[in-house]
Amino acid sequence: MGGELLEKALQYASRSSRYSEARYADILTNELSYRNSEFEGMDFERESGYAVRVVNNSIAMAYTDREDWGRLKEAIDHALKTSMRPGKSSIWEGKAIKDSWKVNQRKPIEDMSVEDRVALARDYDAMMKAAGADVRLNVIHDKRIKQRYVNSVGSDISGDVARLYYFYMVGVMENGEFEQSTKEYGSSSGYEYLDSLNLEERIASDVRDLHESASAPRPSPGKFDIIVGPEISGIVAHESCGHPTEYDRIVGREGALAGESFLTGKKFPFRIGSESVSVIDDPTIQGSFGYYRYDDEGVPSRKRYLYRKGYTDEFILNRESASMLGKDSNAGGRSSSWDMEPLARMSTTYIEPGDYRFEELFEGIRKGIYIKSFTEWNIDDIRFNEKYVGKEAYLITNGDLSGRVRRPVLETTTINFYSAVDAVGRDLEFSAGMCGKGDPEQGVDVWMGGPHMRLRGVYIQ
Amino acid sequence: MTAELVDEVFRRLQHEGFQEIALEFARENIEQIRFSASTTDLHNYWDQENLSVFASKNGRTVSTAIKDPASVDQAVARLNEVASRTPENSSFVSINRDRQTYGKGMTSHFQSVDLQDLQDAMVNGSLSAGAERAAGLIYNRNSEITVKTSYNECHFSTGGLEGVIRAFRGNFTGQEALHFGFSTSPTAKSFEEMGANAALTASAASNTSEIDPGKFKAILSPYVIGNIMSYGSGFLSYYAVETGLSCFAGMLDREVSSEEFSLYDDPTDYSGVGSRICDDEGTPTSKLQIIGHGKLQSYLHSTSTASRAGTRTTGNAGIITPRAWQLSLEAGKTSFKSMLEGLDSGLLINNAWYTRFQDYRNGVFSTVPRDGVFLVRDGEIQGAVSGIRISDSVPGILRNVSALSMERKRVKWWEEIYASTMPYVMVDGVNISKAF
Repeated sequence: MGGELLEKALQYASRSSRYSEARYADILTNELSYRNSEFEGMDFERESGYAVRVVNNSIAMAYTDREDWGRLKEAIDHALKTSMRPGKSSIWEGKAIKDSWKVNQRKPIEDMSVEDRVALARDYDAMMKAAGADVRLNVIHDKRIKQRYVNSVGSDISGDVARLYYFYMVGVMENGEFEQSTKEYGSSSGYEYLDSLNLEERIASDVRDLHESASAPRPSPGKFDIIVGPEISGIVAHESCGHPTEYDRIVGREGALAGESFLTGKKFPFRIGSESVSVIDDPTIQGSFGYYRYDDEGVPSRKRYLYRKGYTDEFILNRESASMLGKDSNAGGRSSSWDMEPLARMSTTYIEPGDYRFEELFEGIRKGIYIKSFTEWNIDDIRFNEKYVGKEAYLITNGDLSGRVRRPVLETTTINFYSAVDAVGRDLEFSAGMCGKGDPEQGVDVWMGGPHMRLRGVYIQ
Repeated sequence: MTAELVDEVFRRLQHEGFQEIALEFARENIEQIRFSASTTDLHNYWDQENLSVFASKNGRTVSTAIKDPASVDQAVARLNEVASRTPENSSFVSINRDRQTYGKGMTSHFQSVDLQDLQDAMVNGSLSAGAERAAGLIYNRNSEITVKTSYNECHFSTGGLEGVIRAFRGNFTGQEALHFGFSTSPTAKSFEEMGANAALTASAASNTSEIDPGKFKAILSPYVIGNIMSYGSGFLSYYAVETGLSCFAGMLDREVSSEEFSLYDDPTDYSGVGSRICDDEGTPTSKLQIIGHGKLQSYLHSTSTASRAGTRTTGNAGIITPRAWQLSLEAGKTSFKSMLEGLDSGLLINNAWYTRFQDYRNGVFSTVPRDGVFLVRDGEIQGAVSGIRISDSVPGILRNVSALSMERKRVKWWEEIYASTMPYVMVDGVNISKAF
């Protein structure tokens, strides 16, 4: 591992800046894929580099992948020069922290042989084929990140992270109708995570559902009581709570890209819906895909309530947005790689479980739809107007399931969704995702999740 | 890292028995300025070098990226290990084995550009035209690329300037996002106009209009059709066709759009930042007609996909996964002004984002309009519309194109719109859905 120039870079930058920090990361990735039973090759990469941030009249960052002081100094000089131009320049500095942390692996990434990796993807493809999938894509990706962060306040944090990611897509044709499903699994761990998933059963179930959904009728549009599964609770928590409570969005920093927030300009706490709903973002869940003990700005992580009992609570803050709010950073500063700025990001975002047993949620529903999972989704740029198309879905008649329906569409608003929740299940499941933000686009590893929930009087198309 | 290292890695791989090799070395200097609330948020500067490696041995393929000259030994050893311990990759047939000659390309860079000046011009243009605040960014990208394969070697420069500005006025917004390649001469005035145009869109309506969901005649701006075609270009890759995930599968030489619609991939257009003179396996790029007067003329191919399809490469490698470089939709014969004046009842949509598909095989998607969505009656904007979606399909949109404007824009925005050149398009019967 390189990184020998890190302290020199910080010292040099600090001589001419009000606040400075330097980060070095060494990232090793492996990826292989199977497509329709064909092995598609294996890619491995090792990349590393320095990111230096300086603050004067404005904030500037410079990145270089050279272990070459001349090149690194030139990049820092460029940042120092541009930081003298006018602009926003406030940043939360915090206290000095020195520490190191590591993700534990029981089946370490570096011990996985090439043959073992290939066998996993081949076996998953075979499971899909056996289940009757016509289209099959399997991608297994792992990475090991070793990072050191230092700043002019005196912090010095070293991290050693292992992350595993498995993506698949299946498609089926049934009586001339096509249905598709994508799934993402991820964890901060070694390969033991895949062993724990019981993928054979999950894959067979997913493909079977597609076959049955393809020949199911579309629902007649109208108002229904609905029950949503954890997969939908998770995406809703991520899209219509996590993103709009990223404080950099609220103040407009992502304005020309992913947009702002429906919370911009609101008085807080702001009511977002039923008091049954609380949403948490928690980077401290060990094994979660978004797990970290320190963020990429060297701030210790902690659990955050974003919505609490139907009202806004905390916002997701990095050093820059914390200073705008006049608060301490709550460790939301994440960057997807060594050459990216840390932005205010989610980790594991989920709806807090309630008291209801699964069966209890169905009681009292005369005419309803149970939407267990979703396919297409999107949301507007202030995270208010959203759409989720059901994948596995069933009619509910007088409290009982009464047959599948195909692609029910829930197109609603954040306030209407959360206001319609009247019962929250006691279960909790997570799914993995790559959360996109920033320009250059930064995909960061996250979990999202929640329990089953019941919503009253929702319009389904 | 230098050209000598490219040669060194090439020799080492040959020595290890790799039969076909394709290396791509990129030296990149990128500068960026980001702003919101009309003031600077961040200056970014990247100085990077990267050597991408693809190699095959006995039907096995391996790929990696080498960033550090000191890691060459380790990388070559690992490539050998992977090649000896993985199955054959039947998606790979070969790289391009024909000897090639290349055009000169463009070498000029925008090296003396001051991004702060351009930002000031863009923001001032926006505020002067009525915006209350503006957010956006500007890139100056300069890349030197060398592609060296077992049979060919080519060198080129690529990059240019990119500007994005979103103007805010009350609850209304407007956005412009353009790119300028090395054959252009953008000035501060160019960026000032972008800012002004974004503000004019944000100011185009002072009131709101409500609509019910249903089918609408709609003018889709270069940004909207650029977004749909950027996502849609994935379906034109023969990789997607073979996989069973393309709405254009089985449509070669058949009608896929209205007759007015002709789509090209044109990386030879140096007015855009997507220019390049060869693809990832050394095939010279060219202006490729993908859709000609409504008929699908070609998929996007590498040598390997072309071999399996019984045709010739189109210069779009990705060796395993071909892709478009710089889409260009042919201009039409109608001015945007007369297109708008001729719209008795419908929508004008200036931008869209978050395009997601529920069905790749049939191209069924929805996308969220933003930054200027207007109800139009008798050629006049009646009011701004919010809370709607285009919920349709790529084949459905293309089949219903009834006119294209003679004006085109070089559009590129974030991950939503690849570098491309697009006109306004009039589409009949666009399905619009709405939140309840």
